[in-house]
Amino acid sequence: MKIFNALDTGMVRSLKVWKGILITWFIYLSLASTVALPLKAVLKEGLGKSTIAERLVTGIDMDVLTDLGPGFRNELHYFYSGLLIIILIGFLTNAFLTGGFFDSMKGTSQRFVPAEFFGSCARNFFPFTLITLVTGIMFLFLAFLLIALPLSSLLSRSSTEWVPLLIVKISILVFILLYMIIVLVADYARAWQVMNGKASPFRALGFGFKTAFCKLRSTYPLMLILWIGNTFFLVLSYLLIGRLKPATGIGVFMLFVLSQLLFFTRLLLKCWRYGSVTALKEINEQLFRADKQQDANQ
Amino acid sequence: MRDYLFIAAALIFSARTVNSQIIVKAPLSPRITGYRIDARLDVSSKTVNGTMEAFWVNKTNDIVPDIFLHLYMNAFRSERTTFNREAGWKPGNDSSLFGRIDLKYFTLRDGKDIKSRIKYIQPDDNNPHDSTVIQILLPEPAKPGDTVFINAGFVTRLPSRIVRTGYSDDFFFVGQWFPKFGVYEPAGMRYSTKGGWNCHQFHERSEFYADHSVYDVRITVPKEYVVGTGGMLMSEAGNDTKTKTQTWRAEDIVDFAWTAWPGFAVYTDQWKHVKITLLIPKTRTEQVQRQFTAVKNALEYFEKNVGPYPWPHVTIVDPPAKGSGASGMEYTTLFTSESVYKLPSWFHILEMTTVHEFGHAYFMGILASNEFEEPWLDEGVNSFWEERIIDHYWGENSGIIDLPMIKIPDKSESRIGYVHSQSRQVASNKEFSWNYPHESYGMLSYEKTATWLYTLMGIIGEDAMNEVFRQYYREWAFKHPCGKDFVNVVNEVVKRIYGDKFGTDMNWFFDETLYGTGICDYKVEGFTNTKGKTSSSNKGKADKSVSMAVADSSQKAVVRLERDGEVMLPVEVAVHFSDGNEIIENWDGKSRFRDYTYYGKKVLWVRIDPEFKNRMDINFINNSMTDEPNRIPERRFSDKLIAFLQLLTSILTL
Repeated sequence: MKIFNALDTGMVRSLKVWKGILITWFIYLSLASTVALPLKAVLKEGLGKSTIAERLVTGIDMDVLTDLGPGFRNELHYFYSGLLIIILIGFLTNAFLTGGFFDSMKGTSQRFVPAEFFGSCARNFFPFTLITLVTGIMFLFLAFLLIALPLSSLLSRSSTEWVPLLIVKISILVFILLYMIIVLVADYARAWQVMNGKASPFRALGFGFKTAFCKLRSTYPLMLILWIGNTFFLVLSYLLIGRLKPATGIGVFMLFVLSQLLFFTRLLLKCWRYGSVTALKEINEQLFRADKQQDANQ
Repeated sequence: MRDYLFIAAALIFSARTVNSQIIVKAPLSPRITGYRIDARLDVSSKTVNGTMEAFWVNKTNDIVPDIFLHLYMNAFRSERTTFNREAGWKPGNDSSLFGRIDLKYFTLRDGKDIKSRIKYIQPDDNNPHDSTVIQILLPEPAKPGDTVFINAGFVTRLPSRIVRTGYSDDFFFVGQWFPKFGVYEPAGMRYSTKGGWNCHQFHERSEFYADHSVYDVRITVPKEYVVGTGGMLMSEAGNDTKTKTQTWRAEDIVDFAWTAWPGFAVYTDQWKHVKITLLIPKTRTEQVQRQFTAVKNALEYFEKNVGPYPWPHVTIVDPPAKGSGASGMEYTTLFTSESVYKLPSWFHILEMTTVHEFGHAYFMGILASNEFEEPWLDEGVNSFWEERIIDHYWGENSGIIDLPMIKIPDKSESRIGYVHSQSRQVASNKEFSWNYPHESYGMLSYEKTATWLYTLMGIIGEDAMNEVFRQYYREWAFKHPCGKDFVNVVNEVVKRIYGDKFGTDMNWFFDETLYGTGICDYKVEGFTNTKGKTSSSNKGKADKSVSMAVADSSQKAVVRLERDGEVMLPVEVAVHFSDGNEIIENWDGKSRFRDYTYYGKKVLWVRIDPEFKNRMDINFINNSMTDEPNRIPERRFSDKLIAFLQLLTSILTL
């Protein structure tokens, strides 16, 4: 019941911050455009006035892409560098914006005011960056241990072919299960941080770990529901965007609108997670206080 | 003396069996050589102990003083062999990495020991550390019609690093494992101006060349081992509680290889007269049907377009991961495929490899070209057929990756590999396989050949191309064709179908592609549409297309085409006008530029080679031009990329 209350409250609170999501959407759109638009220009330049572009209408055409010659190679290099930059900037931007979101998710928060939102973003930037960095390193370590190492066993000369694959599958499953705990830690830490006010990221992380593990039975199912919902939506989005091949101008515009709507929804789902974890934290605290009060009364 | 009598009796017996008919109704080949081998696999010492009775018949008019044999396994004898030097491979001190073949005895039919007459020679590079070819001066020269019988005992030590042949743990792939005759080429055969043995050393970048032979092979292995060979199983007997002996026979094939591993599951299927046997790791059951489908499709396509598959059997070996070094190799009636456990259905490496390696039963097995000297005639031609088969059965533009969002067509892989290679001009196809510089062997012999064969098909048409290969099969099956024989067949068939449409012969095409190093690049330099009065001088200069246009003094269109590459090939040019009409110009492609002028019409777009038949062209993009290019793909690409980056960033950040 507690979980559904938290999910319900989280959803309401995430909807309340739609303006913040809109701001985030715009920032990410600008960020992605810095890589995508120059690539588009390179492609336009490479194809020139050729009619060959028609071969790309049905999808990727390897003959055409490789015939772009050095342009294509430059494009790939640019893409890889751009991707890295986007991930780095995205990391910092996310650390910045989540400060505002978590602050807006508190039960005491009133209606969304952009100035207050950015104020919280700035206030929490440093502790949130540290929290994200620490949890990020934990992810990388886990990914290396549970994905990269078992994957390398696939290349080994094992006499039974199914064993390495089974190990990889189990490792990925364990990674996902642990991944959700780390997300819980990060979310609890950030929820604690915005309530605490003073920048103390390591204490926040300590709280995150403590709460995540102490309340694992109630919080893990919450995170599982949210993770399944988010993952399902992401897969659906990728498949939908990947498979759609509009061949007209209006069709391409509709694809843009749809893809951006999907991304907006993705951000909303992410905020739902922030809101639900924050709400659960508050519910737990209320219950804790009520128990204490009851004990005092007795 | 008793021993000699026994040996003589055995040889007479063997000569009779290798000439008899057991598998095919009548001999398919001249059967110049034959082998009877008794082999015992010692799984602990990783050796094959063998005795061999073999013959070579002098079917030429030459008096031949010697015989040449390959001892391929000696390529792994040291790090200084030609094979290992070319591979840049230094095995270090791990003795298991070395392989070799040691001759225990070597006698003639009469028991005369000729081991002392063995001379290790290095016809290709004079490398004294290479012992992959031996020459034996016969006590008496072989006169025309004579048969030279030899009797050898040998121990083949398999290397632990499988490069086509070797072992890994308990998996064995036994190829290039016995002393094997070279090919005696009399004057006039292929490129020979005088009679002599064609027997090259084992090179890293090369395959093989041998006469069609009959093989009777007895293989003794531990009981739990499953054996697969290029022959048909004649009998099997358990020797004791530990070993079993199988007798295999193969007729009219150019090589005999075998594999042994306890982990194989054996499946069989039938296609018309052909029994298909599949040896596959027990865990890969879901790939059984894929393998059978691939080989049946190949059988059907080759039979329809080239010629019948003459043997009643074929064996596919899908090696386990630990034996992947044996993958993707052909031994006529046995070939190795390539796959992994749980191979996704959209990943067609299995189908491509199976179709390709099976194809070698035709281009190498039946049409036994010299792979040392003309690898294109085997690998390149076979790649062309592989790509056609993949396109035909798995869908146009199918290939290694076949996903709705991304496809990598098999035929594009070849073209891209060639036209975008930095080394595409370092050599022509007329090189011995190990002489291709700058790692260009694969690119030039496989990819360039497949690409120019597609281009040839674009010029003469698919039906004529198929007829070329049917004729090639009819003329050269179970012989040793060379490049000029293939060219002659093309000339003959094209002349028969088209007369002089393409000139007196097609040599111009082969000079440009097979024997040339130039690149092909046609481009539309531009076109103009102008309004204004037509001058009489313009009319005078205009080409035949002018006559097709309705004279209109107010509109003039000029299309400018250029040839940037050295290769000159005839191309079609599609010109589309604003009134919806379209004309096809036939440009012989010889001049450096070509202008077409039209009056009374406005050009909308121009395309050189509108159907992309000329796959030699290194740049398809500059082959066309329009004033209204389609920008949809760029915009769509950009939209999708933005969404992809947004979602990715949202995943990677908490």
